[in-house]
Amino acid sequence: MQTNSSHTVIGYYGFPARKVLRAARERFGTDLPLVDLDVAAGAPDAGLLPPATCRIIANIVDNAVHLGSRLAAVVAAVGEDKCDRGRHAAWILRELGMNVIETRFAEEDFEDRPLIFSTGRGPLAARIDRIMATVVDPAPPDDPPEPCRPTHGFWGVPPNDVRILDLFPPTTHLYGWVRCVEAGRPSDLDLECSVDDGVPTVFFHQSFCAKQDLAHRLAEKHRGIAVDCHGEINDSIMAKVEAFIRLS
Amino acid sequence: MLIADCGSTWSKILDTGTGELEIVQTREMIRREGVFFEVATGHSAKNRCHVYRNELIALAEGSLALIPDDDFSIVDVGGRDVKFVRFAGRRVVKLDWNLACGSSTGATIELLGSYYDVEFDRLPSTDRWINVTCGVFGMEKVLEHVSTGTPPEEAVAMFLHGMVRNVFDFSGRPGRLYLSGGFCENDCFLQTMGKYCTVTPLGRTVPLEGLKR
Repeated sequence: MQTNSSHTVIGYYGFPARKVLRAARERFGTDLPLVDLDVAAGAPDAGLLPPATCRIIANIVDNAVHLGSRLAAVVAAVGEDKCDRGRHAAWILRELGMNVIETRFAEEDFEDRPLIFSTGRGPLAARIDRIMATVVDPAPPDDPPEPCRPTHGFWGVPPNDVRILDLFPPTTHLYGWVRCVEAGRPSDLDLECSVDDGVPTVFFHQSFCAKQDLAHRLAEKHRGIAVDCHGEINDSIMAKVEAFIRLS
Repeated sequence: MLIADCGSTWSKILDTGTGELEIVQTREMIRREGVFFEVATGHSAKNRCHVYRNELIALAEGSLALIPDDDFSIVDVGGRDVKFVRFAGRRVVKLDWNLACGSSTGATIELLGSYYDVEFDRLPSTDRWINVTCGVFGMEKVLEHVSTGTPPEEAVAMFLHGMVRNVFDFSGRPGRLYLSGGFCENDCFLQTMGKYCTVTPLGRTVPLEGLKR
């Protein structure tokens, strides 16, 4: 976790409504660093969730417990823009005595931001990082990537183990929830399920995540492959993705 | 030039100069001093070759070299994994690789065969099957069948039938299926798969053909 070990921080997960995140900062301190609790940061297993839990949800709980009293508050996305388990995680964290602020990204708050990083050229992991950074700072980038035609597609959420992203060529377009985040429409199911025809796409989901329903259906529909992973990516997953990219 | 497909159980080594093919147990291959290949694939080939190739790519390219059809499906049932590729217009449209389950793999059936001293060349196929959702649970069911009077050969054939159904499902239930790997030499497997689709065995060297390309 990129924070000074003694500083108080504000945690958040998912894509909180901007006004809720802004209000939390004004309440607890605009100078407090914001920490995305979804991201694997090496926190020890808090032992609060069953093993068959989406790794992202486990990251949220493990990170929050690990930060403990350093967390001024957790701004928790609990609506359709996240998932039931995000809501359950908020309940568990509140049970532990944490200051949890729930947020639901309402349809009337939907934005229509340009898809600069989703359709641009460049390393996939870096583009996903830039998209996720727009949750906190939606200012247009000074250095936008040049747009490109897609040779491949990556659909899904930011993976727990980002090494899988290194397999994709720079001309890979981003689809799914990541694209929804860049557009500022995190629960827009139609946008989440929009994929360009004819683009060989890997439909990625974390194991034990409900998005597997979408990934499998879309993979069949678009002749892509559905790939899931729990914790760390293993050799067979890497090889399957590598083969799909090379052969399609 | 030596090229090789080194699986977890068996290694297939081809001298492309002489055309000589050697099939040895991998446990023997890894004990050989200084063994090194020009191009290789397979779990046990890593760090034993100049160029390592992805197993699915080797299978896909080998099948394209051997099969003239525009549209086809091929499955490779290995010792510890199952690989599948489907082509339409000779382009990959689906692929999968199951590496985490013994419910469809050769090592499980070899264990059972050696435990009950079953010769698969002579083992008749059966219409009955054991539901092999899990390799370990499936083996337990074989033990249970044997303990309640089913002849061991019949129980093993039932397990094999359950495994064939898993492989058939994994391959998307095609009307015709090309088969790669050691099960091409297992008559009981071929007869059982023949109950579900037209199966064409291609032998154990399909990935080696892919390495030549």
